[in-house]
Amino acid sequence: MTKTAFADAQTPQTEVQAEPSDSIETMYLTFPVGSELYGVSIGVVTEIVGLQRIMSVPDVPHYIKGVINLRGKVIPLMDVRLRFGMPDKAYDDRTVVIVLQVNDAPVGLIVDGVNEVLDIPAHQIDRTHSFSGAEGRSLVLGLGRLEERVAILLNVNLLVEDDALIPPMMAEA
Amino acid sequence: MTARAEQVPEQASGGALLRVSSDKIGRLMDLVGELSLSVSETINAPELANLDLVGFEAAAHRLSMIVGEVQDAASELRLVPVDEVFRRLKRMVRELQRETGKQIDLEMRGEDTSIDKLVADRLYDPLLHVVRNSADHGLEPPAEREAAGKSPAGRIILSAAQVGSEVRIQVIDDGRGLNRGKILAKARERGLFGPSEEPEDAAVWKAIFEPGFSTAEAVTTLSGRGVGMDVLNTTMKDLRGRIGVQSEEGRGTTVSLHIPVSLAFLDSVILRLGTQLYCVPIDDIAEIVKPGMGDHLALSAEGGREMLRQRDRFIPVCRLEKFFAGMRSELPPLSEMVFIVFESTSGPIAVPVDEILDRQQVVMKPLEGTLTRVRASWGFALLASGEVAMVLDCERLANGGVR
Repeated sequence: MTKTAFADAQTPQTEVQAEPSDSIETMYLTFPVGSELYGVSIGVVTEIVGLQRIMSVPDVPHYIKGVINLRGKVIPLMDVRLRFGMPDKAYDDRTVVIVLQVNDAPVGLIVDGVNEVLDIPAHQIDRTHSFSGAEGRSLVLGLGRLEERVAILLNVNLLVEDDALIPPMMAEA
Repeated sequence: MTARAEQVPEQASGGALLRVSSDKIGRLMDLVGELSLSVSETINAPELANLDLVGFEAAAHRLSMIVGEVQDAASELRLVPVDEVFRRLKRMVRELQRETGKQIDLEMRGEDTSIDKLVADRLYDPLLHVVRNSADHGLEPPAEREAAGKSPAGRIILSAAQVGSEVRIQVIDDGRGLNRGKILAKARERGLFGPSEEPEDAAVWKAIFEPGFSTAEAVTTLSGRGVGMDVLNTTMKDLRGRIGVQSEEGRGTTVSLHIPVSLAFLDSVILRLGTQLYCVPIDDIAEIVKPGMGDHLALSAEGGREMLRQRDRFIPVCRLEKFFAGMRSELPPLSEMVFIVFESTSGPIAVPVDEILDRQQVVMKPLEGTLTRVRASWGFALLASGEVAMVLDCERLANGGVR
């Protein structure tokens, strides 16, 4: 499966078009969580699908809502709001799942919806803030300056790691 | 599933064999799974309910049949005869003959038994250890054999057979057998048994699979059988297999490996607990019990531990809600539940569930990423309905989740 092959008839809002000259490293899929805007590198995104019936699973952190069968693959779903320590929100018809492939394991992020893919070159990303958790590790990779807004770029490797990180203080959008 | 791959004589088909990467076969299997799911979704679409569609029904029936056959054919692709593994071992035995100066008659039985390619690939190394130990330490030199009234040539039998949904692979030798006394002494030294404990033979033989049990000293004096045995143990756990050892002093040793035919398909029973679905390999289930009144009790003196009375014995009840974290908090009374009884190596346990739904062949996917945190599970099963069920490992349920 090619990484940019965004699925699916289920999710009409995910028309992703990249300008041909853009390189994949500076492209971020953005999505709102509450009033904030987040972004993940599209290099790790495999597809976006609608929410389907979730089978809950024991022994996992509370923000892992369960697993789904995505065309023969078992994929754990992480509720991003719960992962960030935010109050949860009932899923609605805008709720979608961003499927990532991180460290060879698939994981789906349950998000309120998705926006567009943005090209955010390195010079527009502010990494100078100290986003340090206890060990100087933060879920936030940097802040992408956009014209009117700020996209909070996520470190997906830490996002899917289980060692309970202290939920990062929400950067102001 | 028809686990026995059809033996197309190579000559008849002109020996035309294809090398195909296992990734491609994996992809095909995934697609076939999706196909079968889509077909069942289409045929069972709610829009079609109550419509009188005679032609459609017939066509849908044919379609389902064909999909079923495609599924069988696809799953057979991954099955290979164990012959391939055995032939590599045969070469090894010839080398061992030269090295040890012993005569070894190697006999192979059931080479056409089919096994999952993924299993076959991992089987060679552990089997190599077993065969090497038999040849090296089990079989006596010709003179010693003649003195014991045996034929000068030692005999090793490699045997494979399908037993239910398992393949049993045995390495049988007619050598001097395991030395119980010496192994027991060594095991006591390592604290595996108490000084006055007199364990059964099976328990003694198990000691040789303990990591690091095989010291150099043990190899020379204990008729060997230590080298790499813990490797065998690890591989077998990964393959969901079991090891059995039988030995009789002076008569020989038999090492039996029991391995599921296919790692991908599992004949299992689907269970419901609240909104969750679980799946248990059917061979693990000893009994399914619907208890009558008074067949269970709770021991307040032991933290409310629940027991199930079954005929003349009491079986500890293992509630999944208590074993796992993050399950439903209300516990239904046991009198409303159905029990699955497992005979684990650490004794029987009874697992209560709300309902037993079905028996089916499921496709199993291993645990990945964050899901590896789930204790006492082999993986997730994809059900024919498209739903996902967690496959329970009753051994780990019984021993508290330790692998």
